[in-house]
Order: sequence, then C-alpha cells, then structure tokens
Amino acid sequence: MVARRIPQLLPLNGVRVLELGGHVSAPFCARLLADYGADVIKVEQPGIGDEARRMGPFVGDDPHPDKSIPFLYLNTNKRGVTLDPATTAGARLLAELLGSADVVVENYPPGEKPAPMLETEYLAKHYPTLIVASITAFGQSGPYRNFAATDIVTTAFSGLMYHSGDSDREPLRNALNQSFYVAGINGAVATAAALFRRMATGQGQTIDVSTVECLASHLVQAVPYYSYMGAIKGRRPVRGSGFEELMPARDGYVIPSVQGSQPWSTVAELISEPGLHDERFASGSGRIEYGEEIYDLLIKGLAQWDRKALHQASGERRLVFGMAQDAGDLHECPHLREREFFRTVSHPVAGEVDYPGMGPRLSGMEYEVTRAAPLLGEHNGEIYGDELGRSAEGLAQLRALGAI
Amino acid sequence: MTMANAGRPLEGIRVLDLSRVFAMPYCGAYLADLGAEVIKVETHHNAFVDTTRTLNGPYPDNKPGDLYYERGGTFHTLNRGKLSVTLDLRSEDALEVLRRLVSVSDVMLENFTPRVMRRFGLDYPNLKAVKPDLIMVSNTGYGHSGPWTNFGAMATALEPTHGTGAFTGYLDVDAHGNTSPGTVPNKIANSYTDFLASWTAQLAVLASLIHRARTGRGMWIDLAMYQVGTSFMGEGLLDFAFNGRRARRMGNRHETLSPHGCYPCLGNDQWAVIAARDDEDWLALCETMGMADLAGDARFVDPVTRHRNQDALDAIIAGWTASKNKYEVMNLLQAAGVPAGPVLDGRDMLKDPHFRARGYFESVEHEATTGLGRQEYVSRGWRMSGSDVRIRKSAPLLGEDNRYVLSQVLGLDDGKIAELEAAEAVGQTLAGAQTPSAVPLARQVELGWTVDYDEEYRK
Repeated sequence: MVARRIPQLLPLNGVRVLELGGHVSAPFCARLLADYGADVIKVEQPGIGDEARRMGPFVGDDPHPDKSIPFLYLNTNKRGVTLDPATTAGARLLAELLGSADVVVENYPPGEKPAPMLETEYLAKHYPTLIVASITAFGQSGPYRNFAATDIVTTAFSGLMYHSGDSDREPLRNALNQSFYVAGINGAVATAAALFRRMATGQGQTIDVSTVECLASHLVQAVPYYSYMGAIKGRRPVRGSGFEELMPARDGYVIPSVQGSQPWSTVAELISEPGLHDERFASGSGRIEYGEEIYDLLIKGLAQWDRKALHQASGERRLVFGMAQDAGDLHECPHLREREFFRTVSHPVAGEVDYPGMGPRLSGMEYEVTRAAPLLGEHNGEIYGDELGRSAEGLAQLRALGAI
Repeated sequence: MTMANAGRPLEGIRVLDLSRVFAMPYCGAYLADLGAEVIKVETHHNAFVDTTRTLNGPYPDNKPGDLYYERGGTFHTLNRGKLSVTLDLRSEDALEVLRRLVSVSDVMLENFTPRVMRRFGLDYPNLKAVKPDLIMVSNTGYGHSGPWTNFGAMATALEPTHGTGAFTGYLDVDAHGNTSPGTVPNKIANSYTDFLASWTAQLAVLASLIHRARTGRGMWIDLAMYQVGTSFMGEGLLDFAFNGRRARRMGNRHETLSPHGCYPCLGNDQWAVIAARDDEDWLALCETMGMADLAGDARFVDPVTRHRNQDALDAIIAGWTASKNKYEVMNLLQAAGVPAGPVLDGRDMLKDPHFRARGYFESVEHEATTGLGRQEYVSRGWRMSGSDVRIRKSAPLLGEDNRYVLSQVLGLDDGKIAELEAAEAVGQTLAGAQTPSAVPLARQVELGWTVDYDEEYRK
C-alpha cells in the first residue's frame, strides 16, 4: 500500500499576503504568516530585488544576490515575483494582485511609496476588505516619522540599548537586526488580530507598526522605575555577586543563578566550592552585602566546570543556570535536534543546509519548509501566467517593457 | 454584531491566565488590550503568588506599604486589563472550580513546569476532555519534549543559552587602544527572551483562534522559550551552517557600514548613536561636524578604508559629540539626513515628544486603596485603524473579581462561595506576606542599580 500524504490544514491556509518593501521587518512578518500557512507572494523590483539580497553575511562570503544569509532565512515558504509599479503594465499587475490579496505587509518609509496605488488611503478606499500592515522605524505619525534609521538607531530610541551592556562602558547594541525582527513579529500579531476580526465584520484595517515602540514595549521595568519613583535604571552594575551574570567557566561562559525555588545549599553544593557553604550568603540581602566575596568564590568554583556539564547538572538539580552558546553549539544542540527544530532546505544557488525552524510547536501542525527563498522573479510565470492568465507572449512583452 | 463592540478584535473571547512572571502575563495583557476578558487565576498564598506582585516593584516613591503586592509598577504593566480570581489549587474544590472555568473559556495560558501541570491534572489531554476546542499555551524553558524538558529556566539565564552572547559583546581593546573582535559574550537588557516568547505566544494564540473559527478545532501550543529565542538568531545559525562561523561580537560596529557606533555626549551617562549607510551619509556627517577636510583624508576616503580605520574615526567623532547634548547630535545629523539618535533612558522616553505625539503611553486610574492614582504605561508597538485596542483598566487587586467569577461566570450560589472562602480555597488578602524593605535610592546609586534619580519626578 502506498501511503498517501494528505496535505495538512494550517491556520492561515487560504490567506493571501503580498509582501512589499524588503530588508528585514516586512519579510520577517510575512515569513511568520507563511509558517502558519499563508500564501505569501513577495514582490520585488525587477533587476534589483530586495535590498536584503545585498546584506551580508553571504554564503562562502560571496556577495551574490541569492547568497545573502539574512535573505535566505527571511524568505522561506514564499513565492517571488517582480514588478515595477511605476510602469503602466506593472501597475495593472499590481492591481490584480491586490484584488486577490487579503493582506499587504510593507515597510516603505513614510512618504516613499513607489506608486500612488500603494498609499494606505488609496488601498483602504479601493480594497475595503484588505488588511494593510505598514512597518516603519518610527511609525506613520509623530515628529520623528521621517528620520533616517538603521537598527542601531531604532534600538537607541527604544530605550532597550541604554540598559544593554555594562555600566562602566557605553550602551551595547544587540546584534542580528533584532529591532526589525521584533517589529516583524509584532506586525504579524496585529495582522492576525485584524484577520480574526475580519471574520466577524468582513472589514479590512490599516495597521501602523513602529519598530521603536515595539522594542520600547520591552521596558516593563525601566519605565515604571521613573514614572513610579523618579529613578533611572541603567546597565548591569560592575560590582555584584556574579549571579544572573555571565561568568567564566573552564571552556567558556556560564550564568550561575539563585532563582527558582531551591535553597542556597543546593546552589553551593552544585558549584562545589567549599567557601560558598556559608549562611551569610543564603539570603538575597547577604548576597548583596558580601557580593565581592561571593564573586571571588564563584570565579574559583566555576573554573572547575565545563559549561555544558554545569548546565546539565543544574537542570538535574532543578536549578536554572544558563550558559553562553555559540551558533555551532546551537546547530548541534541535542535538545533542539530531538525537538526537530531544524529543517533541511535545498536552494539551487546557495546549496543545502539545516535551517532553524519555527519557535512554537502546535498540536496537529507539522512545520514544513516547502520552498527555499525565491530567486528574483522565480514565480513570474506561475503567478502571472497560470494564475492571472497572461500568455507566453504577454509575459515576454512585460519583460521587454521592464514591467517585470 | 453590534456597533459598540465592532472595534474590539477579541470581544467575547475569554482567557484564563494561570501564568506568572513576565512572558505569558504580558501575552495575557495584550489579549486584554485587544478586548478579551482575561481572568488571572492566582493564589493568595505568599509562597505561590506571582512573584511580580511581591519581588519586582517599583513602588510609588520607593515605599512598598502594607498593600505592596497591589502596588508594583512592573506587575501593573504586565497585568493591566485583567480580572483576578484566587484559587488555591492544593484544594480539590478549587481545582474543580478551575475545571469548570476551563469549560467556559476559550484560551488558557500557563507556564508551570510539565511536571506540575500533570500533577494537578491540568495538562492538555485532561483539559481537552473538559473543553474540546480549548486553545492552550504551555510556556516552559525548554518545552514538553527533549532531553532538557524538565529543566527549569528564567529568561536572563536562557538568553545567552539561545545564542545572544555569540553576537552581542564589546570589542576587545589592547593596551594601545587597538580593537579586535570581542571574546566575551554580553547580554541584552530586560529579560529579552521573555518578550520574544510573549510576542510568539500572541501570534500562536491569534492564529489558533482563526483556525478554531474555521475548523472548530482547538490547539495546544508547546512554547519552549529556548527554542523561540533560537528562532530569532536565525541569521547567526545559518552563518554557521553555511560558513562555519560560530560567533561575531562587534561591539556597536557593523559588518560593512562605518562609522557605526555609540558616542559619549554631554552629561552623566549620556550617549548618541550614529550610522553612516554610504558615502553620502559620510560626507553629510563631515559637513555637519564642521570637518569637511576629513572627507579627503586618505584613511577615510571610501567605505573600505573607513571600515579599516574605525578606531581613529571613532575617536574623532567622539571628540565632536562629547561637547554636545545627545538631542543636539540627533537634530544636527537628522537635518542632514544621517541616521543618528539619542540613547534614551526611562526618563527620556516618558518625556520624549515623539512618544507623546503618538500617544504611546496609555494611562489608567487605579483603585483608591492602592494610592497609585493615575499612572501611565508602555502600550503596544502598533495601532489599528477603527479598532478600540487600548489598555482598558488597571491590573486587578488580588482576588478582586472572585465574586464576579464564582457567581456570575460559574453561577455558584452564596453558600458554595462562603464554603470556598471558609476553607481558604479563595481569598483576597495575601497570607504569609511580609512587607519588603526598600533599598533607598541613594544606596541604589552606590550599588550601581540606579544611575540617578529625581526627587521632583512628578513634575
């Protein structure tokens, strides 16, 4: 008997998303929607493509438009077309695509839409059931809306950067374009809320996502510190016991922790530094008072441990120690492997490797990567020809006009 | 659907929030902002109460007071808009009340370890029997399967475990001031992983609500914070898979852009960031700094030489910013089209004209006994046209809605409710509580927990 694979029904199957713009925030937003089953069509400028295609690092450090690692990661499970909305023929194709779409996700800076038909007011008026999510650095309104920004700038404005790093050095950026990932997932949350509401009302909505404000929403401590008591919360102090901080172990860094509900003696026993068995250290106030003494003992004790062995031993004792893992550790992590976090993805230009997969696991829903990131215009024939009914000659003409 | 509720996306959805600390409570708060009725199921026993009620503060004027567990600013941010019912789950009667609540709810959020939920019989298979189309998020450090499944976790230790420290860290500096790639991992502030888990859970719940509306089927969401965090490190993991690169710590610098950094400004711990995307930004920066000659300097003529000579370049820029207010740096450079901005702290954010103009902070009036008055909180990074999405009310007092939940939602009679109260299965006063002592702000400054404080902050 031949096992026949029945395609699974995913939560957003049947929802069509047009993704316009590029870089990180809108593509990540659309990728998340695609992971939940949406049919995402990525629209790129003919001959140029998403600017993420020119973002490093590259496969083999070769700056080729199909070898950008951020691009490859951000664009799985999507189909890709090209069109130039500034041409008449391109605008007509875009109008047809908009007519078939449920959601538009875009991240053009305010006032820099490439065509009048992409203005939010126009879309809301002519496509009343469409959900339009616009992701920008500062949002569509407010005095900074037209400011120039990159990831370090949005992170600085968000308040997050001020609290990152050490108090005796400058604030430290968190790398890997995190502000735009956080904006992307917040955009997906708002889009899903709008889709759910549309099931009841039949109406579309416009969504204004501010990258700065998405990250600022992390500040559930620093903001009330000031609004409740006038205090300014800073970066981690250079003095202290070393608990809940990165500390050197024999082969790297670990985070010893006193959190959770285990007694001090469990912590002291695990680290097995005799000096730590001291009742003065058992309370939080004691660990503040004798912080420097504890710090020296921790340095001695942790130097006897390899980080993975300590993490394992901590977990077995119901303690919550952490460790600094690099990309190689994570790629090979036995826990992530057993949870089937990775998916092998084959790309015609970049090659085949294991990609990190979806964060949550949902019952009855198998996360799949059915497509690698699209080549520029890879699905022009499929979408413009098969779906929108353009003939082979028509497609050739569109190409000649520079419309696609 | 009536016009009155057309604007609340989650009108009519009931959420049971059994979760504690940051990630899932914040998810519940957002679902409340979206219009769901969110019932925080907690306990009035000090040993098991949500620790953000008792350990986090901050308290008004740094004074915890007798009702400190109703007065913490972080708790209020994370639990706004919810109702509170106290159920001591060690009591079989309280467990039965909870099961009945599940049967009339749509979504449940919890972050106990897998062991605890099984012990209470509150794992998904058991609850599915009570409510077949339940949507349930089980948020744990490492998830409900895999070799580390029973390991406890907290965000601040998880963060480098899922890789942030491989890509976040200062440059190493030698005795001559020359820099090289960093060898020491660092952290992102504010329990970063908690927030990634919160956004991820919100999306999963909303997708599941759509799925349920279309298929009638519920969903169990196994949310492992470690795995969620790793999914945000994708660029770094793929760089290893393709190129074998394990880590890349660049301080505030960038793979290709320069200058790109964080520079000191006038005042105590004041900073501004500047990032030049291309030659055009670079020329505008030189012009703005009044150093047009710099553009012709052989060390800085093109992106490649600038990138190679960043130590010298950063010293020159820091010399220019050091005599300026951080907002002045922003104004001068943004007027010239160069990406730049101040590194804002909590005070700056609350006063910043952009956040103000967009109404980012939303305020609510608090119950009189808390003495909190009207307070404002961080809201959301997005607005929806025509939707009534906002912080609806303050976080609840402990057990504030016991009567409503037991009597209105479940229809228990007064006798039964009195029985639960007499058995201490429900309660409104924190049992076994001890008012925490607050460390004076001046001492906090000495310890380095606090940079500075304003006596006159209410103005």
